[in-house]
Amino acid sequence: MTALRKFFVRPAGRGSRSPLQTIALYAAVVVFALWVLLPVWYLVVSSLITPQQLGSRSFTYFPTSITFDNYLSILTGSTASAGFGTTDVGARLVPAIAQSFLVSTVLVVLNLIIAGSAAYALSRYPFPGSRQFELAVIATRVVPAIAIVGPFFVAFRVIGVLNSPWALIISYNVFTLPLAVMILKNYFDQLPQEIEEAAKIDGAGRLLTLAIIILPIAKPGLVAAGVLIFLEAWSEFFYSLVLTNQLTVPPLLAGFQSVQQFNWNALAAATVISMIPPVLLVMIFQRNVVGSLTAGVGK
Amino acid sequence: MTASFKNGSLARSDAWFGLKMTTVAAIMMAVLLLVPSALTVIYSLHNVPANGSSFGEFVGFRNYQIIFGSAVFWRSVWVTLWFSLGFVVLSTLIGFAMALLLNQEFFGRGLARALLIVPWATPWLVIGILWKWYADGSVGGLNALLVGLGITSDYQNFLADPNSALMITIIAAAWRQASFAGILLLAGLQTLPSELYEAAELDGANWWQRLQNVTIPWLRPVLVTVTVLNIIYAFLQFDVIFAMTQGGPGDATQVLSILIYRQLFVVTQIGLGSALAVVLGVAALIGGLVTVKLLYRGEAAN
Repeated sequence: MTALRKFFVRPAGRGSRSPLQTIALYAAVVVFALWVLLPVWYLVVSSLITPQQLGSRSFTYFPTSITFDNYLSILTGSTASAGFGTTDVGARLVPAIAQSFLVSTVLVVLNLIIAGSAAYALSRYPFPGSRQFELAVIATRVVPAIAIVGPFFVAFRVIGVLNSPWALIISYNVFTLPLAVMILKNYFDQLPQEIEEAAKIDGAGRLLTLAIIILPIAKPGLVAAGVLIFLEAWSEFFYSLVLTNQLTVPPLLAGFQSVQQFNWNALAAATVISMIPPVLLVMIFQRNVVGSLTAGVGK
Repeated sequence: MTASFKNGSLARSDAWFGLKMTTVAAIMMAVLLLVPSALTVIYSLHNVPANGSSFGEFVGFRNYQIIFGSAVFWRSVWVTLWFSLGFVVLSTLIGFAMALLLNQEFFGRGLARALLIVPWATPWLVIGILWKWYADGSVGGLNALLVGLGITSDYQNFLADPNSALMITIIAAAWRQASFAGILLLAGLQTLPSELYEAAELDGANWWQRLQNVTIPWLRPVLVTVTVLNIIYAFLQFDVIFAMTQGGPGDATQVLSILIYRQLFVVTQIGLGSALAVVLGVAALIGGLVTVKLLYRGEAAN
């Protein structure tokens, strides 16, 4: 498992290739790049051209002139000029980004503490029933979010948190908490136990051992879990759609689409903006994250 | 915090400490998952009023009878199965191909691996929006491309045609999931000792034989993981389809999750929607378990 973290490190090529093999290889690389890039390139170009340019057939993959008006109008909220129809989506994008960050960050902190303690306990201090608890946690990954949203809706209406970030901070735990427990349990299992035992012999209590011995060396695992929790919370759409009124970015984008007469260029700009935080975050921490992904299903 | 028992052994106090550390997570899982799941099952046995203010009249299994007797449900089951089949096959195969490719040494490999991250890190809903417009009949870049390459003669409104609509939603969702599969499989490939390859090469095994006899057996556990995850993602997929077609045209892309959403929040038949949700949950669970069983049995047979 540790070798998984060598994602970007170890070269794998062996020997030399014939010219024909080289051509085939680079042809495959081009196909791969086009498969991934073309849709994204289309989106980015769409966000940088005017509705007139977009409307003309055929779509120009290399536009002769670009504009940042779509980004400006959506970020400043001046939606009227950009042809947003009747929606106030432009005015709501920046607040929605702020709410997405708030919900995601609170969840990361909360889950690292709660799932972290549970995962450490499951790894080091098993108790009767701990294995069953672990299996139950893994099994929750197949529970459809949609299957339990009804009770959430009713409960949140009763306690008055419908439409607030709390509705999401509470409900997102359904999938982020098990994910964090699995990743961190898996990570703690890989950490050597010898140092902890030495600390114990030196008379350190369990909590002290956790704080001074484990936490510092567990940082890569905590970062990986944190990034994945953030990603799930940032991307979540369904609960936010049903339990709030376009509070976070995904339901706002979805609502945008259903408005009569809206401007795809502006939606494209908003869509690009919504992709940047998760993509950047994963790219920065890719080494931590990749090794933790397989823990998502358990063993 | 450290628990001390009058007569307790260290092991017992360790277990007690473990239990305490797990309590908050366990209570949260119970409150957030078990209670709502149980409530959904209870809802499914009632004729719940549209505003969901009470359970309403107890009707036993009548909601389930209505579902299993309804053509809409069975069409939705078929759409879900077709979607899942296409999604799982495409994302697993493309992901595997991408992993094999990115495991080779070539100029720009670091950049290519960074690219692999982009579809996976993109929110599902955003992928739906992106592909909806990419496949659009008038402004879509896909049409410009297909016409430019001479594959089609004129712009097609892919999402308006029931046959191509399902196909495009599958491709869009698989576009994301192939990257996820590729990342996991590439990580698995990198743990493959190069000696195994060299030995196979010395034995005169060609590329295909090495793939069959070295690579695939080595990757089997990761392939199982990836396939099971893909099946679960397929069964529970909502965002991409909601953004692209909302289940249409007609009911051509109405997978079970979309049907449940309509029952719960559009026509507000909460009892029926809950019964459907129970059916989907059980199906996802069985689907996951059966796949694990089948794939691991395949492994044991080899």
